[in-house]
Amino acid sequence: MYYLGVDVGSVSTDIVVLDEKLNVYDQVYLRTKGRPIEAIQRGFKQLKNKYKDKEVRAIGTTGSGRGITSFILGADCVKNEITAHAMAGVYYDKEVKTIFEIGGQDSKIILLNQGVVTDFAMNTVCAAGTGSFLDRQAERLGIPIEEFGNYALKSKLAVRIAGRCAVFAESDMIHKQQLGYDSADIIKGLCEALARNYLNNVGKGKDIQPKVFFQGGVAANIGIKEAFEKILGFEIFVPKYYNVMGAIGAALLAKETVESKRCKTNFKGFDISDHVFITNSFQCKDCPNECEVVRILDGEVEIGCFGDRCGKWNQKSHIKSS
Amino acid sequence: MIVGLPKGLLFHQYEKFITEFLKVLQIDYIISKDTNKDILNLGVKYCVDEACLPIKIFHGHVASIKDRCDLVIVPRIVSVHEKEFICPKFNGLPEMILHNIPNMPAITTKPLYLYSEKKTLAWLEDFGSMLNKNKNQVREAYIRGKEIYDRQKLGYNDKRYRRRVLLVGHPYNIDDIYMNMNIKKKLNDLGVGVMTHHYVRDKDKQKEVDKLYKRPFWTFARHTYGSCVYLGRTQQVDGIIYLSSFNCGIDSIFIQLIKNELKDFPLLVVKIDEHTGEAGLNTRLEAYTDMLERKKKNGSNFPASREHLYSM
Ligand code: SF4
Ligand code: SF4
Repeated sequence: MYYLGVDVGSVSTDIVVLDEKLNVYDQVYLRTKGRPIEAIQRGFKQLKNKYKDKEVRAIGTTGSGRGITSFILGADCVKNEITAHAMAGVYYDKEVKTIFEIGGQDSKIILLNQGVVTDFAMNTVCAAGTGSFLDRQAERLGIPIEEFGNYALKSKLAVRIAGRCAVFAESDMIHKQQLGYDSADIIKGLCEALARNYLNNVGKGKDIQPKVFFQGGVAANIGIKEAFEKILGFEIFVPKYYNVMGAIGAALLAKETVESKRCKTNFKGFDISDHVFITNSFQCKDCPNECEVVRILDGEVEIGCFGDRCGKWNQKSHIKSS
Repeated sequence: MIVGLPKGLLFHQYEKFITEFLKVLQIDYIISKDTNKDILNLGVKYCVDEACLPIKIFHGHVASIKDRCDLVIVPRIVSVHEKEFICPKFNGLPEMILHNIPNMPAITTKPLYLYSEKKTLAWLEDFGSMLNKNKNQVREAYIRGKEIYDRQKLGYNDKRYRRRVLLVGHPYNIDDIYMNMNIKKKLNDLGVGVMTHHYVRDKDKQKEVDKLYKRPFWTFARHTYGSCVYLGRTQQVDGIIYLSSFNCGIDSIFIQLIKNELKDFPLLVVKIDEHTGEAGLNTRLEAYTDMLERKKKNGSNFPASREHLYSM
């Protein structure tokens, strides 16, 4: 028996398979490339031959594409990213008090007390504190992003880089590069700038208590972990499955839903990868808002709509997120 | 003579009064439509960039009706309560409108002090003279309008929901469901009932306000601060949601004062501006509701408070 969790973000889509004992049994990582449905289909194609439909006991979705993919997959539980990340963090360690999550496009902070979320904040507008910013700079320096962290560790002295805003950080970095600073020192500087930026923006005014979990794709970067530790003065922990915590949380929440409702899963089966989903959009003219409504069709059958401000189309397709 | 009523800022509060007033005087009037994309776009186009969203939207409403009426009511409301004021932006509203929107018809420009019947009547008499109505006619219409105004019940007080939150913010942020993306409905759909400050007694609000080291001179602040602190302290609601306008100085001050007072109470600050995305708001509201639910389920009084630093 398995529990599936799917985290559909704007940059990446993660699928995890948890076994009966809730260990991570399998995981798939995909680039979303702005097409969440295709990403999901590619992912399920990979899983199709390994598992049977009836082995799935529950499936949950999270991430910005949670709604759209839930129609396609028949998710039992559709939850926001905050709740999903918190769920997974607490599952691995009941003592966790703070979760830093830094992904490709956004970042968040979650505060917990005895396993319950007490506070959170998200940043979805400023790029300076996210993974895509680091990716760009790695590219600029000609260093693979995987190596970034190790480079930072080589440095003895970080170059101070203005981290307030992505645009400034970038020009400041170029400037320092031209002045002939060592790459390792610049990278360390960048890591510190990102950590500072995160703590000053997303973490502003928050009482950050250990134990801190560092989750999301950027947690792979040991340079950032070190920068956080230097600023905060205590150790922070990167859980083993740091980059799929959202998906794990979604799977755990789905399990909880199915069990508390004592119902069977709505999972539509692995061969959704063979279906042809068509999305088209139309402009609703029923009021001056003129929403661009997106409609998803499975062959001929409409399975969901979104993009409407008033909810009239969304409701018609009986989808509820959350 | 056709009078134009822009459906922005405090319009909802005084709609009953002004429409009855005009009906009694047998003056034709038009009301701009509910805020929509076109109105927002017009507002953004005409208004200065630094203004808050409600002021921009008001510009949009004026622009949407200006060519179909002869006189637009642009209230320069200075005060609604003795020794208290409302936002200074209301003070400069007529100038902003005349300056920013080309080819305006006539507008009202006299300052309006709504706490005093005498001063209100003086404003209405002046307005009446623009409509060729004499003092007696104006007085009669005033009395009829006021009757209806006094009978109305503003605000929400949802019962029968699993959870209940106090929704605070400037009245126009709460009244305009386009601007706030129908936050009340979203909350109701999540099983959360909404109440507003109207259902908190004035004396309970006043007690909290009196504890401030300095008397706030904004009426809005009294209602908001007073009801937040009173309900938070007495735990009569599960949480508080503060709808705040991006670029509003008054909000920034009072959010901080409320936080200082309520420390760990679950306070969600939602900032709205013209770039606010609906998906981001949904995520926040869902996460917030989950938090309230799980907190209750665990039967604990765990501290909680949060602020969203960014508009979505
Ligand atoms: S979907 Fe709803 S809000 Fe959007 S244009 Fe149609 S009726 Fe208006
Ligand atoms: S109080 Fe704030 S939101 Fe209202 S008009 Fe003034 S600045 Fe704008």
